[in-house]
Amino acid sequence: MIRQATFPTREAVDFVVIGSGSAGGIVAKELSTAGFSVVVLEQGPWLGPEDFKHDEWAISQNEGFVWGRRKGHPQTFRKNENEKAKIVEGGGLGYAHNVGGSSIHFSGNFWRLRPVDFQERSLHGAPEGSTLTDWPITYEELEPYYTRVDWEIGVSGLAGPWDPPRSREYPCPPMPIKSTGVLLERAARSLGYTPYPAPVAMLSTPHNNRPACMHCGFCNGFGCEFSAKSSTAVAMIPLALNTGRCELRTGCTASRIETDESGRVTGVVYWDESGNEHAQRARAVVLSANGAETPRLLLLSASSRFPNGLANSSGMVGRNLMFNCGASAVGIFPEPINAYKSVPVTRVVHDFYTFNPALGLFGGGGFTDRSPSAGRPMGAALAGGRFSGARWGSAFKKGLAEEFTHTVAFNAHATSVPMARNSVSLDPDVKDKWGRPALRTTYTNHPMDFEVMKFFRDRAVELMDAAGALETIGSYSENGQTGGVHLLGTCRMGTDPATSVVNRDNRAHDVPNLFMVDGSSLVTSTRGQPTMTIMALAFRAADRIIESARRGDI
Amino acid sequence: MVFRPSPSSCRDFITSLTSAVGSSLIVLSLPAIVTARAEASAARRSMAALATLDDGEAAELAAIAARIIPTDDTPGATEAGAIYFIDNVLGSSRAEELEPLRAGLASLVASARSKYGASSFRALDPDAQDALLTEVEDTPFFATMRFLTIAGTFSLPEYGGNRDGIGWNLIGFEMQHMWQPPYGFYDAEYAREGR
Repeated sequence: MIRQATFPTREAVDFVVIGSGSAGGIVAKELSTAGFSVVVLEQGPWLGPEDFKHDEWAISQNEGFVWGRRKGHPQTFRKNENEKAKIVEGGGLGYAHNVGGSSIHFSGNFWRLRPVDFQERSLHGAPEGSTLTDWPITYEELEPYYTRVDWEIGVSGLAGPWDPPRSREYPCPPMPIKSTGVLLERAARSLGYTPYPAPVAMLSTPHNNRPACMHCGFCNGFGCEFSAKSSTAVAMIPLALNTGRCELRTGCTASRIETDESGRVTGVVYWDESGNEHAQRARAVVLSANGAETPRLLLLSASSRFPNGLANSSGMVGRNLMFNCGASAVGIFPEPINAYKSVPVTRVVHDFYTFNPALGLFGGGGFTDRSPSAGRPMGAALAGGRFSGARWGSAFKKGLAEEFTHTVAFNAHATSVPMARNSVSLDPDVKDKWGRPALRTTYTNHPMDFEVMKFFRDRAVELMDAAGALETIGSYSENGQTGGVHLLGTCRMGTDPATSVVNRDNRAHDVPNLFMVDGSSLVTSTRGQPTMTIMALAFRAADRIIESARRGDI
Repeated sequence: MVFRPSPSSCRDFITSLTSAVGSSLIVLSLPAIVTARAEASAARRSMAALATLDDGEAAELAAIAARIIPTDDTPGATEAGAIYFIDNVLGSSRAEELEPLRAGLASLVASARSKYGASSFRALDPDAQDALLTEVEDTPFFATMRFLTIAGTFSLPEYGGNRDGIGWNLIGFEMQHMWQPPYGFYDAEYAREGR
């Protein structure tokens, strides 16, 4: 039985943490374990194994985890600042609204960054018109925290010469290879690449009092009924609450961060589930609401002292939004693949992690083996007709029967080029159920993004042909991306307060007792798998915050 | 599935068999009896009250669903009971689709009348039905019907459709909570050959 602390709102706790996801869950656990009092505000519920059904209708089609228009959270989109944003139907900036955030429903591809990610501008220059810059920290500084993610969150994989340097082995061996992984591995070898077992945030063997994966297949977009997927809801939150110094308030939506005349944060105003307003006083606030909601809350917390939004003297709050580029090839094979069984990914190919300069491309990425429809029967049928060409009728039905069990996707996950013009902001007209301005996305891919996606589409098709597909269909987002689930860069980390929002320790340049710790801090986009880095940064930020607090420097 | 009918459902079964196949009962083989019993069970359920649609609307939408996922050499949306899912969600999570669907249906029936002199969509033969649907296949009405038919064929049976997992069987999906390797042909081969 978890003995959760309870704190009165009128007395200042040491920290309010806004958001209980990949970053907030870690920060809450670290701060409370270090002896500080912590209140966590989470707008969603705390879901458990009994909630994690294989229910596509409720979860995928009715905003089970990812809330949108149906649940009173419309978003808008425009390509550029000259357009009026329109309400998006589905899609938009997606994240799971629950304890654990998107670590509940992610695919758990835990790729460490490599040294190059932190120094890409110095090493390779910046694409024209981009705001690409180096990180203020290095891989070596983050490495111990990646290792903590491996061991404390729980990652399965195999260390090898294909990886960046690591100080410790993985705690769990790789997941068993699926037919999808066999096809990718064989194809990659035949083309002279180096495929290797995918590092995933799912337990292949019991670890930290959690059981091993049962390979039910409902990972991507679903919650784990066995607690084998390494969400912060199972790996961190119980530890935080067990300290007796952490209170988790679910169904609580932050409306603004309060500041005093000296420019310091004094607490957080929020609504509980019934819509009653509360104000929790705090000595410091850690904002871990994700790359969309963190900048939104800062903009919503504008005041006479901070007229452009809290911590926004740089004007960079909400800017430099990145999603990660992608491309895919889907192939149909003569024998059963059954991609719907077990984990989403079992092999990766990282031979294009950094492009050869001769290609004239910027960035890089990697490949994974997947089900073309995340293994979901309804999702597969809705997308069906890939190979038959029929969208309904007997030919459609026959096509579904062939496609569901006999197809594989080789997906590419790649860098995005950061641009100041791509942003999260407040919609001037559309409101959410609380009356707050809706999230507005402004996004047009950099021309380099299209070149990168096309390059990866072509390589994915070659891999699929090499794997022996009977037919192959390659694709990428030719009309540009309009949303995503990797919400990055919108409060970027940096040493210069004129061009960045938080410093190298995730502290707001403008507000000494405010910290932004989540995907918004990322300076570059990662090679399409940012969550492990978000978590490693959260462990590091927590260390720095604890150190500063103990010094009396917050 | 093992059928262990309660006395009352046995009575229903006999009643439905009597009306459906009459005196031919004695020539049915055992597997055929099991099949007939399953169909009888489905027939009983199909008489369940609709919650949202009236009988005529339901029959029309079911006829459309039957062209989207037809019954041919394997069962389709009809056997999956997709219309019961559709009726269910049009009264709950998709209530906002009800009136647009009614309007789209009225327009489709009007076409059936003007082009073929038919009193309803379901009165047409399948070729004429397909021809009419092809004309509207880019409309929001058809998109909604396609979405709901597929959802009703592949969702968890507790929502009213996908009876006995008919949709899942159609595509080779098995709903299980645990799997062990081998998952497919190629990983079985890999395990044997080591590459």
